[in-house]
Amino acid sequence: MQEGTPLQSRQINRELLVSILNSPKWFWMAVGILGLIVLFAMGTAGLMINKGMGVTGLNRPVMWGFFITNFVFWIGISHAGVMLSAILRLSKAEWRRPATRAAEILTVFSLMTAMMMPLIHTGRPWRLVYWIYTVPFVPYDYARGIWPNVRSPLVWDPSAVYTYLTSSILFVIIALIPDFAVLRDRTTGISNKIYGMLAMGWQGNPRQWKLQIIAGVLLSALILPVFVSVHSIVSWDFGMAVSVKSWHSTIFAPYFVVGAVHSGVSAVAFVLIILRYIYGWQNYIRHEHIDALARLLIVVATGWFYFLVMEIVFGFYGREADEIAVRNLQFMITPWNIWMMIFVGVTYFLPVAIWLSRSARRNLWIMSLACISVNVGMWLERFLIIVPGLARKQLLTFDWYTYTPSAVEWIIVGATFAMVSMLMLVIARVVPLIPLYDIKEGEILRTEIKIGRVSVPATFRED
Amino acid sequence: MAKAPILGLFETADNAADAGDALKAAGVPQTDYDFLTDTPYPEGAFGERHEGHRLYIFPFVGALIGLTVGVMLTSMTSMAYPLVQGGKPIMSLPPMAVVTYESTMLTAIIFTIIGIIFESRLPAFKQGLYDTRITEGYIGVLANVEEDQLTSTQTLLTQAGAIDVVRNSGGPGA
Amino acid sequence: MAATEPKGHGHHAGMWVFPDASAMSQDVSAKTLSMPKPFTLALMVTGALFILGIVGFIGRAATDGFDEMAPWGYYMAIFSWIFMISSAAPLAAVAFRFTKSHWRRPLSRVAELFAVVGILNLLMFIPMMFLLPGLGNPGGVVEGQLELRRTIWFEGPIGAPHAWDVLAVASLAVTSMVILLLSAMPDMAESRGTATGFRGWVYNRIAGGWYGTKRQWNAQKAGLALLGAFYFMMIIFVHFVISSEYAQSLIPGWKDSIFPVIYSVTSIQMGLGTCLIVLFIMRRWGGYEGYVGKSTFWSASKVMLGVTLLWAYHLFAFFITFWYGRLEVEQNIIKYLIVESYGIIFLLNLVFSFIAPFVLLIWNPVRRSAWGPALAGLFAIFGGLMFSIRIFVGSANAAKGDEIYAFFLEHVPAPAYPDVWDVFMVIGGIGAAAFVYLASTKLFPLLSLWEVKEGTLYQKWRKFIRGEYLVLGKPE
Repeated sequence: MQEGTPLQSRQINRELLVSILNSPKWFWMAVGILGLIVLFAMGTAGLMINKGMGVTGLNRPVMWGFFITNFVFWIGISHAGVMLSAILRLSKAEWRRPATRAAEILTVFSLMTAMMMPLIHTGRPWRLVYWIYTVPFVPYDYARGIWPNVRSPLVWDPSAVYTYLTSSILFVIIALIPDFAVLRDRTTGISNKIYGMLAMGWQGNPRQWKLQIIAGVLLSALILPVFVSVHSIVSWDFGMAVSVKSWHSTIFAPYFVVGAVHSGVSAVAFVLIILRYIYGWQNYIRHEHIDALARLLIVVATGWFYFLVMEIVFGFYGREADEIAVRNLQFMITPWNIWMMIFVGVTYFLPVAIWLSRSARRNLWIMSLACISVNVGMWLERFLIIVPGLARKQLLTFDWYTYTPSAVEWIIVGATFAMVSMLMLVIARVVPLIPLYDIKEGEILRTEIKIGRVSVPATFRED
Repeated sequence: MAKAPILGLFETADNAADAGDALKAAGVPQTDYDFLTDTPYPEGAFGERHEGHRLYIFPFVGALIGLTVGVMLTSMTSMAYPLVQGGKPIMSLPPMAVVTYESTMLTAIIFTIIGIIFESRLPAFKQGLYDTRITEGYIGVLANVEEDQLTSTQTLLTQAGAIDVVRNSGGPGA
Repeated sequence: MAATEPKGHGHHAGMWVFPDASAMSQDVSAKTLSMPKPFTLALMVTGALFILGIVGFIGRAATDGFDEMAPWGYYMAIFSWIFMISSAAPLAAVAFRFTKSHWRRPLSRVAELFAVVGILNLLMFIPMMFLLPGLGNPGGVVEGQLELRRTIWFEGPIGAPHAWDVLAVASLAVTSMVILLLSAMPDMAESRGTATGFRGWVYNRIAGGWYGTKRQWNAQKAGLALLGAFYFMMIIFVHFVISSEYAQSLIPGWKDSIFPVIYSVTSIQMGLGTCLIVLFIMRRWGGYEGYVGKSTFWSASKVMLGVTLLWAYHLFAFFITFWYGRLEVEQNIIKYLIVESYGIIFLLNLVFSFIAPFVLLIWNPVRRSAWGPALAGLFAIFGGLMFSIRIFVGSANAAKGDEIYAFFLEHVPAPAYPDVWDVFMVIGGIGAAAFVYLASTKLFPLLSLWEVKEGTLYQKWRKFIRGEYLVLGKPE
């Protein structure tokens, strides 16, 4: 399925490089405002470090709250990038072309943001410095011969996240080389030098292109298993614990992964809509692309819903009193039960109802609403997994407690959204968020097949 | 005699392919001319030479190294600090498998990246003849011919439909 | 032989076929009617095995009756094995029709035809209904025991579990049958005038009113899409029911939310694998070479590789949670099903469901061949047999008597070895499924004629500058 009119290379360059070569006037203002929000949150984090964790709502037994929820949420968002670009590259879906780069870059920034959350959550982030001076530049902590415990999921987690982060950054950079060459040819002075360095002398001969194409597929195939492992391991941060009822569920790994894909793909769709709006990329991010994303999302959402049902059914299945206590809190006790209803409604029923209608899928306002709704829901999902489990962790009822986030937590969590937006804006200033060569390739490969009186859009395929 | 580069720019892919055919007919070996484009054309679209590569070796080598590093890191740190937790054996294979898996994948991916750059023959900062119009959609046919054939090649490229032919101005070796 | 021009050179050779639509119908219906010697022989052998299976069944029933579940473990295992294949195989048609993949076209009918095996499954399910114990503890509230078994029905709606289980299995079988008939309707209509005997009767009954009007085509396609979506949800639910009723709920304290998923993934791997085996046989010995390009194998094998990886992933997700939890029941279950009692069976399961197909399918030249994916399919169904034996024989024999109402499994039971009746039933079950499938290929054409013909409209071979490439149209 292809819509829209054929485009010329020159036009593609001009329109897609607009964010870099003719940055809009509001750019610095927007970055400035977002930057101020981030600065304010950094100050708040400073206050928290200075005063101690007492300024948060964390307590015994609810020791994990907003920060960890937000950590899981951003890890989830990061799953869009590679899942989209890898799966769509491997399945040779034509409509992937405008979506891959933005998705991959969103992956990188949301991963970085996610990794900040546990550091803030530890309350003593300067311990990070030990990593640097135990062995220079080897990020492995073995001060005084005490090695990290390999048997702990809290060691698996960074190993997975850093693998994913490194791979995603490298993936983005490799795919950027041909586009850096375009920028090299269009800039002067210092930017020309920098883009020239980054393009590494790219000429665009058949050998280079051949490897670029293979790289896309091969790296997709290699990163896909990493991507699955990352959120699985994040889920095992919870799932390995026997003591917290409702966490120790075998389905957690795929449940988290599918949930992450659900929220991540929604986030990518939302980012694409925003990009289309602010940079006028109507010719590139077309309704068909958002439509295709929405149809993919119906499948993802329904898969996720199945895992959710399994998780809940087998939560009750054991009929163990301590697990029932957690489920009782989740489903029966206000306000948790209200949050639970909102969560299921806005994560599944509302968006899927929207996506089932073709006209709604092609209305960008309604699509934005659906995508935001999914992400509100997925944030709540993590919150409703983490906090009720901990609130009912103890065997004896007088040890049960609840959790109310403090202003400090709200500010820091809120600012992470500003930070990712700011980073996306800044990166749009220096690299094209839609891969130029991929769009151009799509243009040269498109053709038509005549069947009787109709002509069906078609594409040339190498295999 | 030294060889010198010459670059013809074409507006259409068909003309560029014609130029390739003409070069081949003129006896220029296939390794001496290349098609420069701003987007990947399907393999063989210009009738160009087949390019072999060994990219697939890289991830395997990387994975092997990563596997070794992962096994060593997990087993040796476990032994170096033998503290029993949760009744699990000191050398617990399932957790070791998790970390080893990550290190294997990480090194495999890093090696693949190195492989891609290496097999693309990058970085190539001492770039040969090039023209910025290539990234505007023109197709470049870059030929390396004997210096005394430069003029005849220029004619040949123009006849195939080149809108412009670029040669090094600095003489031999420039 | 079909009038077909193979296109593509070098490693593209045989990838795509562009059959001549006009000659195809005649050729395929001639193939459907013909009874070549090897086919007749295969029919006789599998028929004999079918009878052997019935003998095994009667032998088992005469020896042990239907009161205890334990002796019927192998029967449950072979039921599950056939069920996993016959339920998931039609998904190959449904899913790739949904994604509008052109390569699926020669695969569709091969996949849908497994609906007929689903009917065999339905018959095999009848005795299993009598074997399943009720929810309530016959002893009432007993010290140290649960009043109600842990099942997915909890307190139980009326009729749980038996009536609901039958309803689930039956509606799945019926849905897949309806999909088959609806999809085969245009093909049946083509030869309803010439077909005689039982075939003629069926064709005229089902496809008597089919004239291929625009309206009929639209209705057929919409019907297939809706039924396909419905089938997808059904199959996930029925897998959940079967895997919980006949496996998980029988081992006290086995609380494993990922198990239904593992069951579904194993099933999908086996279903797709079996379709590829059939497709390979068709292509190699059935004379369908001109209609089945290697691109079908190539594309399907990528899905197969993905499912194989997912299988290992889900298994590990289960394993690490139980291993890490280290509760007594978790350790007992791991020891019982994975390490000790069924250790060897598990090892075979792992090798053939994961390691062998994975090692085979990571190579692109293997994926581009016809034999490679089919061999991977063969591995997968053998691995799946081991899975079924491990899980269902294991479950049936874990808890004896009222132990099934215990809080959790307090010991590691010994494995149950097959006796002669079990061997008969397992071999006979495999034979029966093959027999039913082979027989049904004489009733329905093995190639979805209308889909392959439709495909010839959208797949062309065209010149582009100096090369020649495949052109794929996307209907919308």
